[in-house]
Amino acid sequence: MSAAPYLPDNTIEAPGTRAPLVLGDNDFASVTEKVCGIVERPKPPRWWYAAFAVSSALTAVLLALMGYLFMVGIGVWGVMIPVGWGFAIVNFVFWVGIGHAGTLISAILFLFRQKWRTGINRFAEAMTIFAVMCAGLFPAIHTGRPWFDYWLFPYPNQMYLWPNFRSPLLWDVFAVSTYFTVSLLFWYTGMVPDLATLRDRAKTRARKIVYGILSLGWRGSGRHWHRYERTYLMLAALATPLVLSVHSVVSFDFAVAQLPGWHSTIFPPYFVAGAIFSGFAMVITLIVPVRSYFGLHDLITARHLDNMAKITLATGLMVAYSYGIEFFMAWYSGNQYERFALVNRALGPYAWAFWIMMTCNVAAPQAFWFRKVRQTPWMLVTVALLVNVGMWFERFVIVVSSLSRDYLPSSWGYYKPTWVDLGTLAGSFGLFFFLFLLFLRFGPMIAMAEVKSVMPAAGLEHGPHHGHGQYWGEIPHQHDVQRGDARP
Amino acid sequence: MSREYWRSLDELADTPEYRALVEKEFPGLAEDLISPQTRRAFLKVMGASLGVAGLAACRWPRETILPFAHRPADRIPGVPQQYATAMELGGAALGLLVTSYDGRPIKVEGNPLHPGSRGAASALAQASLLGLYDPDRSKQVLRRDGGQTLVSSWDEFAAFAGPHFAALRASRGAGLVVLAEASSSPSLARLRAAFAQAFPAAGWFEWEPLAGDHGRAAAARLFGQAVRPQLHLDRADVVLCLDADPIFSHPDAVRHAREFAARRRAADGTMNRLFAVGPAVTLTAAAADHRLAVPAGRVVGVAARLLVELRRLGVAVPGADAFAAVATADPNEAAFAAAAARDLAAARGRGLVVAGASPAPAHEVAALANLALGNVGETVVYTRDGEAGAVPAAGGLAEFLAAAAGAGTALLLGGNPAYAAPPELRFAERLAQVPVRIRLSEYEDETSRLATWHLPRAHYLESWGDARAWDGTYSVQQPLIEALYGGRTALDIVALTLGGSAPSAYEIVRATLGGLAGGVLEDAWRSALNDGVLAGSAFPAVAVALTGRPASVPPAAAATAGGFEAVFTADASVYDGRFANNAWLQEMPDPLSKVTWDNAALLAPATAAALGVGRGDVIKVASGGRAVEIAVFVMPGQAEGTVVLPLGYGRTAAGSVGDGVGIDVYPFRPAGAPEFVAGVTIEKTGRHHVLACTQDQHPVDRVGYEARGQRIAELIREGTLAEFLADPEFVRKMDEQPASAPIFASPKLTGEHQWAMSIDLSACIGCNACMIACQAENNIAVVGRDQVIRGRAMHWIRVDRYFSGKPATAKVAFQPMACQQCENAPCEQVCPVGATMHSDEGLNEQVYNRCVGTRYCSNNCPYKVRRFNFFNYFKNVPESEKLVFNPEVTVRGRGVMEKCSFCIQRIEAVKITARNERRPVRDGEIVPACAQTCPAQAIVFGDIKDPASRASRLRADKRSYAVLGELNTKPRLTYLAKLRNPSGKVGEGG
Repeated sequence: MSAAPYLPDNTIEAPGTRAPLVLGDNDFASVTEKVCGIVERPKPPRWWYAAFAVSSALTAVLLALMGYLFMVGIGVWGVMIPVGWGFAIVNFVFWVGIGHAGTLISAILFLFRQKWRTGINRFAEAMTIFAVMCAGLFPAIHTGRPWFDYWLFPYPNQMYLWPNFRSPLLWDVFAVSTYFTVSLLFWYTGMVPDLATLRDRAKTRARKIVYGILSLGWRGSGRHWHRYERTYLMLAALATPLVLSVHSVVSFDFAVAQLPGWHSTIFPPYFVAGAIFSGFAMVITLIVPVRSYFGLHDLITARHLDNMAKITLATGLMVAYSYGIEFFMAWYSGNQYERFALVNRALGPYAWAFWIMMTCNVAAPQAFWFRKVRQTPWMLVTVALLVNVGMWFERFVIVVSSLSRDYLPSSWGYYKPTWVDLGTLAGSFGLFFFLFLLFLRFGPMIAMAEVKSVMPAAGLEHGPHHGHGQYWGEIPHQHDVQRGDARP
Repeated sequence: MSREYWRSLDELADTPEYRALVEKEFPGLAEDLISPQTRRAFLKVMGASLGVAGLAACRWPRETILPFAHRPADRIPGVPQQYATAMELGGAALGLLVTSYDGRPIKVEGNPLHPGSRGAASALAQASLLGLYDPDRSKQVLRRDGGQTLVSSWDEFAAFAGPHFAALRASRGAGLVVLAEASSSPSLARLRAAFAQAFPAAGWFEWEPLAGDHGRAAAARLFGQAVRPQLHLDRADVVLCLDADPIFSHPDAVRHAREFAARRRAADGTMNRLFAVGPAVTLTAAAADHRLAVPAGRVVGVAARLLVELRRLGVAVPGADAFAAVATADPNEAAFAAAAARDLAAARGRGLVVAGASPAPAHEVAALANLALGNVGETVVYTRDGEAGAVPAAGGLAEFLAAAAGAGTALLLGGNPAYAAPPELRFAERLAQVPVRIRLSEYEDETSRLATWHLPRAHYLESWGDARAWDGTYSVQQPLIEALYGGRTALDIVALTLGGSAPSAYEIVRATLGGLAGGVLEDAWRSALNDGVLAGSAFPAVAVALTGRPASVPPAAAATAGGFEAVFTADASVYDGRFANNAWLQEMPDPLSKVTWDNAALLAPATAAALGVGRGDVIKVASGGRAVEIAVFVMPGQAEGTVVLPLGYGRTAAGSVGDGVGIDVYPFRPAGAPEFVAGVTIEKTGRHHVLACTQDQHPVDRVGYEARGQRIAELIREGTLAEFLADPEFVRKMDEQPASAPIFASPKLTGEHQWAMSIDLSACIGCNACMIACQAENNIAVVGRDQVIRGRAMHWIRVDRYFSGKPATAKVAFQPMACQQCENAPCEQVCPVGATMHSDEGLNEQVYNRCVGTRYCSNNCPYKVRRFNFFNYFKNVPESEKLVFNPEVTVRGRGVMEKCSFCIQRIEAVKITARNERRPVRDGEIVPACAQTCPAQAIVFGDIKDPASRASRLRADKRSYAVLGELNTKPRLTYLAKLRNPSGKVGEGG
């Protein structure tokens, strides 16, 4: 871990200038050196080993508990009647939500020409991929007979059976698998030039082969770049609706059901906002320590963090608004079951979870109104961690408290997770970090090619360029001015 | 019945030749196959028996085996057969019809020809089937010699018993004492007479822990003869129950429930009116229109007040003077008594006063009032009290022990006195003084552990016997299967003691029937076996006249001074403890508390609040140096100052299911006061015990309490008879229109039939018989206490119980809740694999094979009637209990959802029969298990495509409504609103 060097404050909005997104005395070579250097170090830092050991152990716990689950049955969890879905579905929605930031940053911010995304998009996309992998695990293992999960796919079969297209769970299968596929493609496509850089710099045979294969013969020709930028643009256009659709579809699992507390038309936008909220909070949680440990302050600058905090705040406000609207609609509907579901949520047996959610998701992000909080890494991480906790509890509140008390008071119940539930949740974090740490070690965690495009040296500030790294409306020589400032 | 067939298997399984053969054939397996202790052995033998044809053909050429090449008459493999028999409980029989599949009984139902049953059966009778296959049942004769327990055999016992009883006969039976459980068997009575002749100096005593002999004593005193009242609740417009529970815990409860419910439907605009007074919330109390919750010690005071009030109304009650002094002066109690008296006086000859667990004076009041009001001969008829020479059972144990002092031989037939005896009788200690203690019992239970000879008793489904119902109707018990574990009956043992060539139970019963029935014995025998009843065998009515005077009644106030009153009740699940090893019954929730796998001290809400205890808090109930520590359940509507203690738990030698379940309160029960005892202290222990409930497992907070209160009125629509008559549309007016049209097309309901069910909440008494019927019919898993706490009980039909009103005077409503078979089923829409589909006959069908177990359907079910196999609940089912499975119903594996199917297997069976006979299905021909057994006949199933069917007519009834109909689920199961019939002249809650 390196101490934060002195860097100019690029968070100030100076009229007529654009804030630089790469600070310090960096040129293309130094950026390459910085990012590739992390991957090419002979040995990772000690903290990496420690973190990797912990996450591997937790992954092992996850696998062991899955084995136990498959051997004995879903009853090892706390699920029961009436609460048929418990931690598994909570974790699923949570991880899918986490998996939102990456594609949002890569695709939507790309289409909206938010240049600051270049510093964090690779990182966030990797997070997305791993989060969606964790998410996808849960619906697969939460069924009573997971060995028949493939029946959810519409494949021609000798049984002449077809899945039920009215079921939101089936929509989920398509939504999540499509999202995962497109996100993976997008991530990988964007990584090809950087993988080629790693290949070119590789010193060992193994690296040459692996990166050689992964970089798909990239040579950096103009034609390559042209094709690449077209593909990337198209994938961004494809991924953008998916960002909105996947969590909308996930929310249909609940909204389409008739259960009070689930059956709500606000769920799709509310879930999407919540997902972006939690996704950005997770990016902040991860990127602040990584930036610090690997000394990437000049590539992932205070401005990046500041922007992410602002998005977190904005989406947090949307989430808070949704919470309010849920209560309003419950009251306004005049439906006693709806009203009770919400009153019970706030004051019933699961009130503790509700108030954790409210504190973490509504109160905590308000700290981001303060510039000081947005720019102080530890404060940023603290708030982001709270948001992560709160968003997990939001899903817990929705899934569990609604189910625990539905129509007939005779079947009301109280769900309690078992140690297997808790272990599986911890294990999913283990799996996530296991994959993430491997990526940090072996992959280009910053999109070098894209970052270079926002450096003045790219010379892209003079006139329009289409496709990847396009810049227009630039003010001439703006970077020169600030770069000059950066020199001591 | 192909007797030879089983007889030969018995030999096959038991003979030395068989053993030698097995040893020769399978040397490695011989141990397993022969040892009676392994379940595996049992299964092997059973397997061998069932595979008899092949066995006979190629492996063991034993002549005694009857090959299936010669099919017994009327026997088609795979087609179930039904045999009539009877089950005796506490000295009264219930006529049963048992379904047998390829030689194994799989379902117990009531015998439609039996007047007490009319096709219905109690939960206990139905669940007794599981006891047949209980692997914990005693399988061998045991001999205890000093400290050693030796495995013995019937031959060894016979070798011992022959000379032993011969010597006793020679000494006229001196030093021989017999303790038997109550029995109505004429055959046993006959043998007993022979026994008395053979052993004139011997003593024969009867004892039942739940005897309740006060009625017998009162009748003897007033009428000078042993008579018992036969209630005709269907003829009674007004019923007053003095701490009585005629519709649930009476020996004739099944009949009473039907007759009572028949008068609750208001079909002709009238209903009966039920007044109930007593401490506990019994099912009768729950059904009452007016209820007075008072400690048991005050019931006599209320009863006395009734006589005072009747006299005030001009009813001349002879002998009422004796009660004037003890009549209650409490205004609330007096008002209740006055209201009851008014209604009873207005309904002379159509009223009925019933006394139950209450002391003898209350029975006297009931008899006097019925006599004075002209009810005798109308709503109550007296008949002789059981077999001639029947002995009163309550004091039997003390007399037995007195006689046992210095006796040389004790013969204990059934019962379990070592467990249930009051501690001051020092049963174990005093019995141990008798050198030879012979014990016949189904289990090696607490009493068997004290015996020198333990003899395995045959289950009633595997033995010949006979019994009389409460009204005297005679039934023959016929075996459906050869004794699985080689047990024998009390008839066999008593016959053995008589020496000579002891006749078999079969011969004894046949001879008894010959004595009872005129005409050709073979004809009578065949028709008695076929019908399950001997026509005209009910006791004739006996004219009674007041010949004695009521006993002078001690003032009740002194007895109840200070402390709490402990009330001892039979448990709804384990009765007196004999069903403790029955997993179906252990998991059947108590009708009121919904507690499973446990008993609890029931306290009134105010009492619990005053003591500062709540559900699950363990209290110490103490009296006179005795104490019991037991968890609390707060029971709304119970009398303040009472603690109700259900008996029958805390067994130590019940078997693997029942051992250590609940708390044994017998040691707390005084010999002199088996019903209730006053002056009890209660203190907190500070400990907590989680009670496993199928409803309200978790305490309901304020938010939930309020919401529940609002909902009950909509879920259980109820009104008074007066409201209903004033506005017959009142139920329908509560209907809310669905808010929106469905998005998806409704299923195509084009089938030939459209099935529907109607449940009458006015008739339902909440007795749980439907739950056990469903459990047996549909192979429903037992999940155990921990799983019940987790909320994973598997019952397809449950009986929701709701309290309404103030906790102190709470009213109770029951709502049987099974799959509603919604036409717009929320479950069907959300299943991703289409594992739950709609049939064209309107059934919501669950396809187990297709189910992957997402549980989404359950989440989306507003009625939460779907049940999930969280584990493989059948994994640890003993092999023997697998024989109880209904082969028509899939045994569900782990990870699939299940739910009520309207007994689709029964629907299809009838449809197939009808098609084969080229006729339409008749209305009422298809009866799901729950409807079949409902003693109150509250459940009606039928085809609503036929506008004339009962189901159609009930669906169109003014009282008919759908639960949560506003969700547009269009349920096929509709309810008939509950009606109550309060007089309007007595304050709420009585």
